[in-house]
Amino acid sequence: MAVSIAPKETADLSAMEDEAFRAHVRQWIEANYPSELRNPPKRLHWDENKPWYFKLAEKGWLCPGWPRQFGGLGLAPAKQIIFTEEVERHGCARTNDHGIVMVGPLLINHGTDAQQQEFLPKILNGEHVWCQGYSEPNAGSDLAALRTEAVLDGDDYVVNGQKIWTTLASDANWCFLLVRTDKNAKKQEGISFLLVDMATPGITVKPIINLEYHDEFCEVFFDNVRVPAKNLVGTPNRGWDMAKALLSFERIYLGSPRLSAYAFARLRQLAERMGVWEEATFQDTYGRLRLDLEDLKSLYGTFVDKLRRGETLGADVSMLKVFQTELFQRITDTMLEIAGENAGLLEPMEGNRNLNPTGQYIQARPATIYGGSNEIQRNILSKNVLGLPG
Amino acid sequence: MSQALDDRSESIRMIRDSAGAVAPRDGDTKRVRALRFVEPGFSRDVFAEMGALGWIGLAAPEAAGGSGLGMSEAVALTEELGAGLAPEPLIPAMLSARLLAAAEDKALLGGLLDGSKVVLTAWQEKADSIAVPGTGDAPRMFIPQAGGADAFLLPVREGNRIALVALEAAGSDLVLEKTMDGGFVGTLRADLSRGSRIADDVGAVVEQAIDEAALATAGHMLGLMEKAFELTLGYLKTRQQFGRIIGTFQSLQHRAADLKIHVSLTRAAVESAAAVLDDGATGAVRQAAVSKAKHRAVESGMYVLRQCIQLHGGIGYTDEYDVGLYLRRGMVIMNQYGAAALHRRRFMALAPEDVE
Ligand SMILES: Cc1cc2nc3c(=O)[nH]c(=O)nc-3n(C[C@H](O)[C@H](O)[C@H](O)COP(=O)(O)OP(=O)(O)OC[C@H]3O[C@@H](n4cnc5c(N)ncnc54)[C@H](O)[C@@H]3O)c2cc1C
Repeated sequence: MAVSIAPKETADLSAMEDEAFRAHVRQWIEANYPSELRNPPKRLHWDENKPWYFKLAEKGWLCPGWPRQFGGLGLAPAKQIIFTEEVERHGCARTNDHGIVMVGPLLINHGTDAQQQEFLPKILNGEHVWCQGYSEPNAGSDLAALRTEAVLDGDDYVVNGQKIWTTLASDANWCFLLVRTDKNAKKQEGISFLLVDMATPGITVKPIINLEYHDEFCEVFFDNVRVPAKNLVGTPNRGWDMAKALLSFERIYLGSPRLSAYAFARLRQLAERMGVWEEATFQDTYGRLRLDLEDLKSLYGTFVDKLRRGETLGADVSMLKVFQTELFQRITDTMLEIAGENAGLLEPMEGNRNLNPTGQYIQARPATIYGGSNEIQRNILSKNVLGLPG
Repeated sequence: MSQALDDRSESIRMIRDSAGAVAPRDGDTKRVRALRFVEPGFSRDVFAEMGALGWIGLAAPEAAGGSGLGMSEAVALTEELGAGLAPEPLIPAMLSARLLAAAEDKALLGGLLDGSKVVLTAWQEKADSIAVPGTGDAPRMFIPQAGGADAFLLPVREGNRIALVALEAAGSDLVLEKTMDGGFVGTLRADLSRGSRIADDVGAVVEQAIDEAALATAGHMLGLMEKAFELTLGYLKTRQQFGRIIGTFQSLQHRAADLKIHVSLTRAAVESAAAVLDDGATGAVRQAAVSKAKHRAVESGMYVLRQCIQLHGGIGYTDEYDVGLYLRRGMVIMNQYGAAALHRRRFMALAPEDVE
């Protein structure tokens, strides 16, 4: 690899014993995480959570999974899980992480040296905040039906069309975009990957209010937007294959135990607060969820292991996404079931952000929709993994 | 069909028809959306209309100025209003009417029945409970749409009896919290010395009234799930992906079939419980019937509402599209008058199985 970015973290955390590593991470988070941002009731906007992003960036801990030569921590799966557990235990806000989770791996695998050199450091230092421009009003589950088109004109592509459900597009200054570059080819064969500066003239972002009364996702309109051709990633018209490979990164991320683990920790607090913690029926429910979470962590570990060995993930990663998101929902369903009338409150109970059953419940709903709905994941599993006909 | 049953289905049909005055037949949600998070969270005018239509006194005896109808009509009505997402506190008002009729307090009852006065009962002392301890100085919690109350009724224990105290809402210590659906619940710290004692013992009536409110709430949930399911079925028949109507995908067809089963189970549980109460059931028989219905409505209702979001994909997670309004309302009412687990426990305690 030609490009090399020196990691900020010079200590080799991989060499530490697991428990020492856990204590090290915990201590650092406790000392550095801005206390007013603990357990935010809603997903934070960039302006609110950038202090945390910058802290992680400065420490060199922003990208635990990226290889060390690209500025990551190159952590083994067990340690990545510990890292995640500590982040969730402390109630740290989710960052604007599309750059870390998706654009980084995309460019590490498919970018030119120049693209890697230009973009990776700016993810690592927080200068670029990314959003994901895939879905369109008529191309959701059937993503390959996307119609936003990019036509080459001199050194630029001219982009026209509309994206929707673009998470935190209003915070982003860059977008990784799937566009149609060949209208005559089969639908999967005319798609390309473009990196677009959101400040380019012709882009309009309109926030959409979600079920949480939060402006978390957006519509993004493109009207004759000129994008330098050098911002095309990989081969023109071969974007679909890369997008599919990238989806496996998204799915392992969405299949990571973090959301379930976060909710699970709050379930116990809620149960104690509601006075049901010691009830045998609750203990039984709780035990079942706890074992589901433990086993999810084990299954997750096997996939992260594969990645670490440099293997590409197969379609079976969809198992993780399905199980994690549905566990997240079951945990939060249980929250509402024991919350009594608090199940209907808009704000966290008693002003305590740890006691936020409704927020957690609502946030768990779309987890089975985004990143490829669970119906689509089950289609993938039954066809591509199990080889069932149809 | 016997004459009595005939009359009943006729009165139920009339009640359903009359609900159109408040719950638009075309499912329009403009009115409901405009009221969200604007105190008191409902329309006084619509509440008055509900009074004029005889709904608040639906189950109150005719002698007391009520309509003298029963729970079968009441659940038909709350179902229609659930489908229409009406935020007015009709079920709590019916509960109060029941108490005032028993207390023979004509003055307060008259104003409540004609809808000119909102009278709410502050009976609850902790979350997820249908017990009425009547502790004099305990804060009374989770009073639905309490910001719109003109008066509160407080059950207060005196030895073995539960007296009823009426209190002007003006000047009382009331704290409101917002609910997911755009409404409010209140916590009341009452100064009983400001109130007037209007009945010596409403213990049994309060229990019955809470049971009826639980059943009426199950009816409201039934309305939510019916309407959300109808929207979803429509979406499955029109939305296209992969060049096909998504309702042609077998996994979604099966899901829709499952949802239909749950809607039907809930209707059967609610309507049969209402019939049991209308037959004059008391004590354990009444309580078991109510618990059966409320349990089913919560379990199946929340399942259906969740799936309706799922089947819509991204648009189901927006505020702008209506299907989410039903889920939010479901969250607010699911544990009112007892969560599913509470009713499951009560049912098991009350309805022992016949084992040889
Ligand atoms: C909170 C949230 C954040 C999101 N963030 C982003 C983002 O940042 N960037 C981005 O590009 N997109 C984002 N999305 C969009 C997301 O990827 C799509 O919502 C998803 O792919 C589903 O597409 P759709 O909404 O059009 O639903 P549809 O595809 O219309 O699906 C409707 C229903 O039909 C089902 N269905 C569809 N096809 C089949 C089939 N073949 N078999 C069985 N069932 C089927 C679906 O599972 C779903 O239940 C986000 C969505 C949400 C909810």
